Amino acid sequence: MPVTKEQSERLKKFKNKGKDSTALRRQRVEVNVELRKAKKYEQILKRRSISFSLVDESVSPGEDNEIEMSMEEIVEAVNGSNAELQLLATQNVRRMLSTQNPPISQIVELGIIPRLIEFLTYYDNASLQFEAAWALTNVASGNSDHTRAVVEGGAIPALVSLLSSPHMHISEQSVWAMGNIAGDGPLYRDALFRCNVIHPLLALVSPTTPVGFLRNITWTLSNLCRNKDPYPPLDAVKKILPVLLYLTEYEDKDIISDSCWAFSYLTDGPNDRIQIVVDTGILPRLVEFMASPELTIVTPALRAIGNVVTGTDEQTQAAIDAGVLTVLPYLLQHVKPTIQKEAAWMLSNIAAGPPQQIQQIIACGLLPPVVELLDKGDFKTQKEAVWVVANFTTGGTVEQVVELVQSGVLKPLLNLLLINDSKIILIILDTISNLFMAAEKVGERDRLCLLVEELGGLEKIEALQSHNNDLVYQAASNVLDKYFSTE
Amino acid sequence: MELSDANLQTLTEYLKKTLDPDPAIRRPAEKFLESVEGSQNYPLLLLTLLEKSQENVIKVCASVTFKNYIKRNWRIVEDEPNKICELDRIAIKANIVPLMLSSPEQIQKQLSDAISIIGREDFPQKWPDLLTEMVNRFQSGDFHVINGVLRTAHSLFKRYRHEFKSNELWSEIKLVLDAFALPLTNLFKATIELCSTHANDASALKVLFSSLILIAKLFYSLNFQDLPEFFEDNMETWMTNFHSLLTLDNKLLQTDDEEEAGLLELLKSQICDNAALYAQKYDEEFQPYLPRFVTAIWNLLVTTGQEVKYDLLVSNAIQFLASVCERPHYKHLFEDQNTLTSICEKVIVPNMEFRAADEEAFEDNSEEYIRRDLEGSDIDTRRRAACDLVRGLCKFFEGPVTGIFSGYVNSMLQEYAKNPSVNWKHKDAAIYLVTSLASKAQTQKHGITQANELVNLTEFFVNHIQPDLKSASVNEFPVLKADGIKYIMIFRNQVPKEQLLVSIPLLINHLQAESIVVHTYAAHALERLFTMRGTNNTTLITAAEMAPFVEVLLTNLFKALTLPGSSENEYIMKAIMRSFSLLQESIIPYIPSVITQLTQKLLAVSKNPSKPHFNHYMFESICLSIRITCKANPDAVGSFEEALFMVFTEILQNDVQEFIPYVFQVMSLLLEMHKNEIPSSYMALFPHLLQPVLWERTGNIPPLVRLLQAYLERGANTIASAAADKIPGLLGVFQKLIASKANDHQGFYLLNSIIEHMPPGSVDQYRKQIFILLFQRLQNSKTTKFIKS
Repeated sequence: MPVTKEQSERLKKFKNKGKDSTALRRQRVEVNVELRKAKKYEQILKRRSISFSLVDESVSPGEDNEIEMSMEEIVEAVNGSNAELQLLATQNVRRMLSTQNPPISQIVELGIIPRLIEFLTYYDNASLQFEAAWALTNVASGNSDHTRAVVEGGAIPALVSLLSSPHMHISEQSVWAMGNIAGDGPLYRDALFRCNVIHPLLALVSPTTPVGFLRNITWTLSNLCRNKDPYPPLDAVKKILPVLLYLTEYEDKDIISDSCWAFSYLTDGPNDRIQIVVDTGILPRLVEFMASPELTIVTPALRAIGNVVTGTDEQTQAAIDAGVLTVLPYLLQHVKPTIQKEAAWMLSNIAAGPPQQIQQIIACGLLPPVVELLDKGDFKTQKEAVWVVANFTTGGTVEQVVELVQSGVLKPLLNLLLINDSKIILIILDTISNLFMAAEKVGERDRLCLLVEELGGLEKIEALQSHNNDLVYQAASNVLDKYFSTE
Repeated sequence: MELSDANLQTLTEYLKKTLDPDPAIRRPAEKFLESVEGSQNYPLLLLTLLEKSQENVIKVCASVTFKNYIKRNWRIVEDEPNKICELDRIAIKANIVPLMLSSPEQIQKQLSDAISIIGREDFPQKWPDLLTEMVNRFQSGDFHVINGVLRTAHSLFKRYRHEFKSNELWSEIKLVLDAFALPLTNLFKATIELCSTHANDASALKVLFSSLILIAKLFYSLNFQDLPEFFEDNMETWMTNFHSLLTLDNKLLQTDDEEEAGLLELLKSQICDNAALYAQKYDEEFQPYLPRFVTAIWNLLVTTGQEVKYDLLVSNAIQFLASVCERPHYKHLFEDQNTLTSICEKVIVPNMEFRAADEEAFEDNSEEYIRRDLEGSDIDTRRRAACDLVRGLCKFFEGPVTGIFSGYVNSMLQEYAKNPSVNWKHKDAAIYLVTSLASKAQTQKHGITQANELVNLTEFFVNHIQPDLKSASVNEFPVLKADGIKYIMIFRNQVPKEQLLVSIPLLINHLQAESIVVHTYAAHALERLFTMRGTNNTTLITAAEMAPFVEVLLTNLFKALTLPGSSENEYIMKAIMRSFSLLQESIIPYIPSVITQLTQKLLAVSKNPSKPHFNHYMFESICLSIRITCKANPDAVGSFEEALFMVFTEILQNDVQEFIPYVFQVMSLLLEMHKNEIPSSYMALFPHLLQPVLWERTGNIPPLVRLLQAYLERGANTIASAAADKIPGLLGVFQKLIASKANDHQGFYLLNSIIEHMPPGSVDQYRKQIFILLFQRLQNSKTTKFIKS
C-alpha cells in the first residue's frame, strides 16, 4: 500500500512545516510510571522538626525535668483534664516524634490525635498549643496514612486559626504542619485552600518577619503550588504569585530556592498556567538564578524556565528575551550531569521553535556545547542532546541545518546509533533523514552519503536492519533504500 | 470437535502424514489440519497428544504444530473474527504452564515459546496469575522445573530490551518487578550457594549454570529500560556475585569443543553485557563497582585463548572496555602509557590476528566470510570489538594510540618483508589495522584538512597494496589479495583518481582468481568504483577512460560466473549491470555474445531460482542491454525477442513464480520499443494475460498492468478489430483491481489506457457498467485514496 504510506509521510512533513510544535515539544513527564527510586534532586515533600530549635528552651517550660511517661500514662493524661499532665504528655509525644526513627504509627494507634488537635484550640494555654502543633507536624511528616490521621482528625481548620496566633512560634509551627499536609498531595492541598488558608498565611509575610520564619512560609507556599491532577485553584495561585515575587528579592538561598521550586510547579502545566507566571515578569529573575553558583537555586530555576519553553512560541520567546540562551552555554557545560541534562532538555524544546528562534540558538554559540554533550555527556544527557538535534533538523531552515552539520554533529550522532535505547535510535534515524532532505535541497546528497559512510555510520545503519524493534528496523531500511541503494 | 479417542486417533494419523517426505502425502495432511484448526477443542486435542501420545515423534510434532497454531491464531485482530474460542483460550492458559514444566526439554521449548506468544497478547491483564504461578515454582528445588520457568520468563521479558518506553510497558515492568525481582534475587543467591556445595558434581553444575545464565539474562531485560528501585537497593548482592562469577573457573565446566561456547563462557559473556549496560546507562550508581569490573574483565581478556568458542565472550568483554574508556570520568583508568601499550599489545593486536578459523572460512565458507567482512555482519567478532575499543580509546588518547599502532604497522610490515611466504599473516594484520583504524573522514583542524596520522594512505597504497595486486600470479597469497582489493574499496574516496585508474586493470585481472573471495571482491570493487561521482554529477570514471578495457572486462566478468562456487554470484552480476550502465553504447559490439550468455544463465537458474539479488541484477542487465542497443538501433528489438522469447515461454509454462513479474517487465519494455503495429507473436499471448490465476499473485499486478498498458498503446486497434471478444476480460481485470484497496490505483492506470487508446466505438457499450462499478466501490468502501484517484 505505497500510497497510504506516502500520504502519512506527507502529512508528517506538513505538520513539521506547519510547526505544530506541541508534537515536538516534550513536557517533562512522558511516562507517569516510574521504575526508579524517587529523584534525589527533588525538593523534599515533607519534613520534620527534629532540631531543638531556639524557641524550645525559652518558651517551653519544664524541659529541664524531663519526665518520661509510658504509653498508657500518656493516653490517660492526654484524655484527662489535668492541664499540667496534658502538657507533660504532649511534650513526651513530641519528644518521641522528634527522634531519628519516630514511632509515628504507634502514636497514631494510641488514638490521641483528635485530642492533640483539640489542644490546638486551647488559646489560654500557649505552651500546650505549641507542643501539640509540633507533635502534629511530625505526625503529618510521616506517610500518607499518618497525614490522613491528622487531616481526618480535623486539624486543618484549627491550624488555619493558629496562623493568626499572637505567638509567632505557634503560627510558625502551624505553617510548618500545613506544609507537610499540603505536601501529601492535591487532595489535602485543596482542603487547605477550602479552609481559606491563603489570606492569613500571606499576611504573615512582611518586612519584619524573621528570615527563619520566612523560609518556612516559602516552603509551605511551594507545597501549596505543587502537584497536578488537579492543579491548585487559579484564584489562589493568583494571590500567591505576588508574594512569591516579593520573596525572591530576599538574599537567602533557601527562600530563593523554595520560591523557585514554587515557580517550577506552577509552570509545569498547560500553556495558560505558564502564561500566568510569564505575566508576572519573573522570567529575567529566574534566568538570573539559573546562573547562580548555588545548585539548590540553579536546579529549580532551570526547571521553571524549562517548563516555560514547553509552552507556545511566544512564551518561549519571552524566555529567550529574558536571556536564557546566554546562560545555557554555561549550564550545558556544568559540572553536574543532571544540570547538563536539564539544560539540554530545555534547549531541545527551544529548538522545536520557529527558524528565528533556532537562529538565536546558533547566534548564542550553543551548537558546539551540544555537539560536545552528544559526544561525551552521560547517557541521559546524550539522549536529550539527540532531541535537540532532532528538533533542530525538523524545524530548521536548510542553511541552519547546514550550519549544524558543519559544527560536527554527525560523528557523535552516528556513534549514538549503538545506544541501548530503541526510541533514541529511531529519532537519530529520523534526524539522518532530515539531514538528507536538507542536503538534497543544496545538492550535497552525495557528499553527505560519503560523510556518513566515512564516519562509520553506514555500517551502523546496516547493522540496525537486524534490530529487534520493527520500527527501528524499518527506519534503518528506509534510510538505506532511499539514500544508499545504488539502483 | 470432541475430545474423544477417535479424534485423537485421527489427529495422530494426520500429524504423522505431515512428517512424510512425499509432498503428495504431506501437503493434503497439512491442508486438512489447517481446515480444522478453527474448530473448538482442536488446540486441546494437540495438548493432549503432546502429553499423552505413545509415540515420542507425535508428541514433538504435536508441540510444534501447537506452537505454530498459537502463533497464527492467538492474536485478536480488530475487525477480524476471533480465531480461537474463549473456552479453549481459558483452558490453554490454565494448563500450559504445568504442562510445559513437566514436559521433556524438546517439548518444553515449544510450549515455552507458545507461552511467550500468548503472554505477548494476554499478559498481564488477561493472564493475571501467570507470574505467581511461575514464581511459586522457584521453591520447588527442581532445577528442571526452575529452568523451564526461567526460560519462559526470559522469552516473556526480553522484549523490554527493544520496546519503546510507554506507560503501558512500564506498568507491566513494574508489575513484573514487584512479583519477580525479590524471588529472582533469592534464587540467584541460592543457586550460587548450590554451585559451591556441588562444586565437584559436573552434572549438577551444568544445570545450575544454565540457571545462572538465564538469571543473568533476566537481569539484563529487567534493568534495560531504567534502573529499578529494587535493583538499585540490591546492587551490592548482584554486582558482588556477578564479579565473583567473572573470576570463577572450574575444570568441570571447561569443554573440549573448540567451536561451541560452554556454559562458563556464556555466563561470563552475559555478565559483561550486564556490566556494560550499567556502565552505559546507570553510570552514577554503578561507579563504585566499575573499577573492579574493569580489572576482572581485563584479566579475563589476557587469560582467554584464541579458540572460536571464546569469541562471544572476548568480544563482549572488549565491548565493555570500549564503552567504559570513552567516559570522561573513567579515562584515568586507561591514561597511563603502560596501560595503553599493554591494552594495544595484549588485547587489541592479538584479537585482530587472522586465525586458523578465519583462514578456514576464507577457503571453505567464503559466502559467510564475505558477509562478515564486507557487509558488516561481523558485529560479534573479535576484530570488530577490537576496532571499537581502539575508536573508544582514541576519544581521549588519539596521539599515543596512533603512535603505538603506526609503530605496529611498520614492524609487522618489516616482519613480512623478511619472509613473505611464512609471514604473510603479519602483513594481513598490518593492512587490517590500516583499513579499520585509519579515519576515512578528513577532519578540519586549524583551517587545514588533516591527512591521516596513522599512515599516509596514498603512499601505503602505492608501496604496499599495488605490488601485491601487480604480482604475476593472481592466485598467490589470496588473503593478501583480498585485503588489497578491500583497501581500494574502502579508501576509494581518499586515494587520488590516477591511482584508481591504475588499479582498474589490476582488478579486472583478479576477476580470474580462483579464490571466491578474491574474485568476488574484485567484482565488488569495480562496481563501487563505477558508481563514484565526479564533478558536475557525472561518474568519476568515464566510458572513454574505460575504452581500452571493455572487452577484457566483459570477458572476465562472464568468465567469473563460470568459476566454481560463483555461478550465481550476486556481486559479479551486479558488476555486470553496473558496467553496462557505465559503458553504454561501447558494449553494443559485444551484445550478441552477452545476450546469449545472459539467456543461458537465465535458463539455468530458472530451474531453481534461489538468489533473489542475483536474479534481480540479471534482469536489470537484460533490460539495460535492450535499452542501450535499441536506442542506437530500434530494429534490433527483433533479435532480442528471438533470443529471449523461448526462455520466457518456458518460464511462463513452468510457472516460475519468482521470474514471472520480471518477464512481464522485459516484455513491456520490448513492446514499447516497437514503433509500428503490434507483432502477431504478442497478440497470440494476449488472451493468456487475462487469465485470472495470473492476477491472484500480488507481485504480478504492477508489471502485468504495465504490460497491458503497452498492449493498449501499441495495439488498441488490433485488439478492437481482431480480439474484440477479449474486451470484457480486460474490463474484468479492471473490475478486480478497483475492488481492492491496495490495487485500485493500478485499476485506474488500466482504465486510463483503455479510454485513451481504444477506439471509442469498441468500448461504448461497457461505459455504463464501468460507472456502476466505480460508484459501487465508492459506496461500499470509501477510502481517501480512492476518492482522490
